[in-house]
Amino acid sequence: MARAAYHHSFEHEHLLSIEGLSPLDISLILDLADNYAEATRAGRRPDPVLSGTTVVNLFFENSTRTMSSFEIAARRLGADVVSMPVAASSVKKGETLVDTAMTLNAMKPDVLVVRHSASGGPKLLSRKVDCAVVNAGDGTHEHPTQGLLDTLTIRRNKGRVEGLKVVICGDIAHSRVARSTTLALHLLGAEVHLCAPRTLLPSGTETWGAASATTDFDKALNGADVVMMLRLQLERMDGAYLPSRREYFRYFGLTGERLALAKPDAIVMHPGPMNRGIEIESAIAEGDRSVITEQVEMGVAVREAVLHLLAGGAT
Amino acid sequence: MSLSIFNARLLDPATGLDTTGAIFADKGRIREISQGRTTAHAEAKVAIDAGGLCLAPGLVDLRVKTGEPGDEQKETLATASRSAVAGGITSFVVMPDTKPVIDDVALVRFIAERAKVSAATRIYPAGALTTGLRGEAMAEIGLMADAGAVVFTNGDQPVGNASLLKRAMTYAASRGATIMSRPDERALAGSGVMNSGALAARMGLSGIPVEAEWIGAMRDTALAEATGCTLILDQVSTPRTLDIAAAARDRGAKVFTMAAAHSLFFNERDVGDYLTYCKVNPPFRTEETRQGLIAALKRGEIDAVVSAHDPQPPEEKRLPYGEAAFGAAGLETVLPALLSLVHDGPLSLLEALAPVTCRPADMLGLPQGRLAEKALADLILFDPDKPWLCERENLRSRSTNSPFDGRRLQGRVLRTFVGGEEVFAHESLA
Repeated sequence: MARAAYHHSFEHEHLLSIEGLSPLDISLILDLADNYAEATRAGRRPDPVLSGTTVVNLFFENSTRTMSSFEIAARRLGADVVSMPVAASSVKKGETLVDTAMTLNAMKPDVLVVRHSASGGPKLLSRKVDCAVVNAGDGTHEHPTQGLLDTLTIRRNKGRVEGLKVVICGDIAHSRVARSTTLALHLLGAEVHLCAPRTLLPSGTETWGAASATTDFDKALNGADVVMMLRLQLERMDGAYLPSRREYFRYFGLTGERLALAKPDAIVMHPGPMNRGIEIESAIAEGDRSVITEQVEMGVAVREAVLHLLAGGAT
Repeated sequence: MSLSIFNARLLDPATGLDTTGAIFADKGRIREISQGRTTAHAEAKVAIDAGGLCLAPGLVDLRVKTGEPGDEQKETLATASRSAVAGGITSFVVMPDTKPVIDDVALVRFIAERAKVSAATRIYPAGALTTGLRGEAMAEIGLMADAGAVVFTNGDQPVGNASLLKRAMTYAASRGATIMSRPDERALAGSGVMNSGALAARMGLSGIPVEAEWIGAMRDTALAEATGCTLILDQVSTPRTLDIAAAARDRGAKVFTMAAAHSLFFNERDVGDYLTYCKVNPPFRTEETRQGLIAALKRGEIDAVVSAHDPQPPEEKRLPYGEAAFGAAGLETVLPALLSLVHDGPLSLLEALAPVTCRPADMLGLPQGRLAEKALADLILFDPDKPWLCERENLRSRSTNSPFDGRRLQGRVLRTFVGGEEVFAHESLA
């Protein structure tokens, strides 16, 4: 039996944030990503829909993981890929983001994948170039492909997103992942609860679509379908935002006992890289409830889908 | 040269005059104010029929930054003055944060001299409160005052050391000097780039909390009260800061307040998609706060409205929001911003003009800002209703980093006179 055909085309020129996408946009990306994930698992090579296109990875912040993920995704679809860890090169010579973008733009790439330490950096760049821009993480603003891969991982494991109770715990204030993932899950009907020490829990999270924001992790875990832990930057732990690492782990670390408060089939997620023993016990990170490596796998699939939609013509 | 402007709507905020009439000016001063007169004075060399439009004192702006000396590519005294007269400003105070800093007598004289030979307006230097604005040692307040500095300030880097500020206030009070200070607790404002709150959190930008301004205002007014120094709180951005000033005044402190015109026009949402032209410090606050400021202005609780003109070239603004410079070009939009409050209802024309004419002039003991016999013939003729589109490329300052870019405004200056001489005529009159 075939699913009823519906047509929704992706009308966005760039992918700069989850904010601004509709639930249909997100479903379209996830469906396509699902196909790519299955193809990879089956050992099938996807159609080279990006053949003849050039994807430039422009990373003003170091990130081997995300840059590799985009690079692999682009190559699988047949694109020519140039990866530039700019953190080490022209920026040191005083060249600005806009200068770098204009220079690259003159080389006529089809997609610029940008990571920048300043919130809104990719947005600024998108105003200055003619090609599609994908935000691969900007400051403490958004990381849309992470939000999408988290949502896809949840959908694959739970068969749905709507109605699920998702708890996201960690440094919410400084997390672009928390913003993108909360927005994406909310758009697909999940109930997202944010949990952090008060000093790392900003006001107004209801505008991201969060159902609640709390400092009581145990209470938040009650009946959760998904538990997502965020990385806590070590420098924020020693007195500036909270008293100590051990105090943080005591109240917000994910242990086996704590996980027992969630539903028996709750899955555990982490965008990586992890601080084992600080936000999450090693045994949990590697346990059978953890889908952390699947998140990495879905990262490639989601990026294939996004690049396809932005530069690969009709689906 | 003698000048007659007749058939005008005469507006004098100092006396509340709002009537049809004419003025006659000669040798730089207003010689006669003739209420009801709709015909020219026969003896005038130049006679202008105002056609019923508004004639008011030229605006007095207490806070302007230029790049002279040191950053002339941003703005010079001359380019700022050309922008000013197009906005109806005939006198302004220039801030000391230049390269070098205006912290000694020779530099105060340099500004006064450069202004005299190059500028279309009257320009008054503000002296640095501390040497090099470093906040470590007080500058020569007395000598600079004698050389013509009208006020002393640390500009955009308020003095952090309360002990030094107290001594500087004590000394300034003994010399009869006025200190202007932006209320700002640096440790709390930190590396913030926009108004603190839900919007900043969602945009992933670090916030400047209102408490930073309140704590700064509490400190500065307490010191003004203790020392008897006259203090102007620079660029107040919340109504509660005005309450703090009022409470200090009730206890006998000599405290004045001023607000930037753009803070009466924009709120934090105007930052929109990380628009760096809207990056100013203090930042645009919430709509509720903006409405509170307007209500306070209506009640006369804001003593002066200023342009806070801060020219920044593209290379300082064409950056990610967090990295871009603070500051907005504002000389040409003070009057339209205030007139928008007249058109929207809350203010009368006289209420809109008082904080940019007689009140700021009185704060510094300057004679201008009034339409009266023997007063300086610094005048503006403006059409309060004329609609126009503010476009960056049409602004006259050398840097055009205006948050008003693309805005539809209403009300334009048609002619500006300094000392009875016409220094600006709108192109529609040509």
